[in-house]
Amino acid sequence: MVKVVFNKPNQGLALGTSMTGRAQASRNGVTGYLFTAPTIILLALFTAGPAFYAFYLSFFSWSLLNHMHFVGLSNYPQLLELPLFWIAVRNSVVFAFVVVPTQTLIALGIAAILNQKLPARGFFRLAFFFPAISSSAVISIIFMWIYNKFGLLNSFLLLVGIHGPDWLSNPSFALSAIMLMNIWTTAGYFTVVFLAGLQAIPVSLYEAAAIDGAGSWRMFSRITVPLLRPTTFFVVVMGIIGTLQMFDQSFILSQGTGGPLHSTTTLVLLVYQFIFSYGKVGLGAAATVLLFMLILAVTLAANRWLGQTVDY
Amino acid sequence: MISSQPQWIRHLIHGLYLAILILGAVTMFVPFLWSLSTALKPLSESLAFPPRWWPHPVDVQNFISIWKLVPVARWFGNSFLVASIVTVLNLVFDSMAGYALARINFPGKNFVFIGILSMLMVPFQSVMLPVYILLRALGLLDSYAGMILPMAVSAMGVFLMRQAFLTIPQEMEDAATIDGAGRLRMFVQISLPMVIPNMLTLALMMFLASWNNFLLPLLVANRTHLWTLPLGIVMFQQEYFVNWPLLMAAGVIATLPIALVYLLFQKWFIQGVASTGIK
Repeated sequence: MVKVVFNKPNQGLALGTSMTGRAQASRNGVTGYLFTAPTIILLALFTAGPAFYAFYLSFFSWSLLNHMHFVGLSNYPQLLELPLFWIAVRNSVVFAFVVVPTQTLIALGIAAILNQKLPARGFFRLAFFFPAISSSAVISIIFMWIYNKFGLLNSFLLLVGIHGPDWLSNPSFALSAIMLMNIWTTAGYFTVVFLAGLQAIPVSLYEAAAIDGAGSWRMFSRITVPLLRPTTFFVVVMGIIGTLQMFDQSFILSQGTGGPLHSTTTLVLLVYQFIFSYGKVGLGAAATVLLFMLILAVTLAANRWLGQTVDY
Repeated sequence: MISSQPQWIRHLIHGLYLAILILGAVTMFVPFLWSLSTALKPLSESLAFPPRWWPHPVDVQNFISIWKLVPVARWFGNSFLVASIVTVLNLVFDSMAGYALARINFPGKNFVFIGILSMLMVPFQSVMLPVYILLRALGLLDSYAGMILPMAVSAMGVFLMRQAFLTIPQEMEDAATIDGAGRLRMFVQISLPMVIPNMLTLALMMFLASWNNFLLPLLVANRTHLWTLPLGIVMFQQEYFVNWPLLMAAGVIATLPIALVYLLFQKWFIQGVASTGIK
C-alpha cells in the first residue's frame, strides 16, 4: 500500500558536538521514544490492543450485564452455524465485489479524462471530490429521501415510463441502493488519487509512443494502465477495506435493523447488533476476528495480483 | 496527450469528454441541490409527485423551527469542540512521532515505524466491539474524552508528517546542533515551521474525519446533550422520519461549514489525498 523508504543514518552526529557517540546514541534513544510515546501508547490502547482484545473476548460468553464465562473455542462453531452470520458475510462480500470494481473503473476513466487538456478541470475535480468529504450520515439521510417511493429517483424513472419500487423497503433492491450511494460517494475520492498517479507518469513516454504512431487507446492500455499499477493497487485495497467495513450507510438506511429481511446486514452491523441487540459479546468478538482474517486474506490476494511494481 | 489524429476528430473526442465530465458533475451536485431545494419548502409542497425543483415560494421556516425542536446549536458545538481537540492532538502527536521517525536515530526505530504503518490495516469499524468494551471499562462512555481519545493520533497522519520531515535538508539541523540547540528546540523552532503546509493538510484531514464521524459518537454518547451533528441528525431522523424538509435543513446546516472550508482550502485537501495515496 505504501512504499517504505528508510532514511539513511543521521549524518549530523559527525559534526562537532562534545558528546561521545555512545552518549549521543543513548540520548537519541530517550528522545526518540519520548517523541513517539504518545503515538505508541494511544495506538496500542485504541487500535492494536483492541485487535488482540477481540481475540481474547471471543473465548467468552458475556452479555455485558452478567459475569464473563469462559467457553473456549465454542463461539466459533456457534457463529458458523448461524444463518444470519452467512447472510452478513454474503452481503459484505457482494457489496465489495460490486462496489470496488465499479468505483475503480469509473475513477480511472474520469481521471484519464481529467488529465487531458480540457477547460475547467479544476472545477470538475472540485465537484467530483465533494461527496467524499461530506458526512456519511448526511449523505445517507439525503439518499433516504431520494430513494423514497415518491422520491427523486422514481420521478426520474417515471420520465422513461418505469414505476420504481420503494427502494429501501424492498429486500431485492435495498442493498443495491446502498451500493449505488457508496459508488457515488467514493468514486470522486479515488479519481483524485488516480489523477495524482497519472500526473507522475512522464510525458516523454507518450511523446515517444506518438512518434511510433500509437493511438490514444493504445497509449492508455500500454502505458497508462501498467504504470498506474501501484496506484491501482492502493485504490483496490483501500476500496476492499472500506467496503468490508461498511457500517454507517447500512445502519442509517435500515434504521439500525439491517433490514428489510436482513438484506442490508453487513458484518460490522452484525457485530454492532451482537453487542447492543442480542447481548452476545463473545459471538461479536468471534465475528470481529473472522472479519480481520477476511480483510487480511483479500489484501494478500490483491497483493499477489497487483502488488508487483512495473519499471519502464 | 499528443496524438496523430486529425484535428476534427480531436475536437469531437474533447467534446465527448466534456459531455461526460458535465454529466458526472451534475450527478455529484443533484443530491445536494435536491436537499437544499427540499429544505426550502413547506412539508406539503415537498411531498408533491412528480417533485418540483424550484421552491415556490422560498420558505426558510424549516431552518428556524429546527433550532426550536432539537438542540442543533449544542450538537454543532459538540461537533466543533470534539473535532478541534482531535485536530490539535493529532497535530502535536503525529508531528512529534513523524519527526522522530524521520530525523532521530533511535534503537528499534524501524520496528516502531512498521508497527505504526501496520495500524493502517485496522480501521476503526473493525475494532468497534473491543474499543466499546474498553471505553466502558475506562468509564469513558458518555464523555467528550471517549469521543476524542480514540482519534487523538492517526497512523496515516504520522506517515504523512514523517514524509514531510524527510524532505528537510539535514544542513538546517546540523547548523542548529553546532549552536547547541536541544532536540525539542530544534523540532519546534527549525523543523516545524518548514512543514506548515503539511500540517495544514493534516489538520483538514483530521478535522473532517472527526466532524463526519458517526460510529464513535454512536457508541460513546447516549445522552442527547453529548450528541454530535451527524449522530443528532440520524437520531432526529428516526423520530421525525416523515418530515423531510426539516431533515434536509439539518443536513444543510451540517454540510455548509465543510463546504466553506473545502472551497477555501481545496488545494490542501487534494494535496492530502495525493500525498497519502501514492507515495
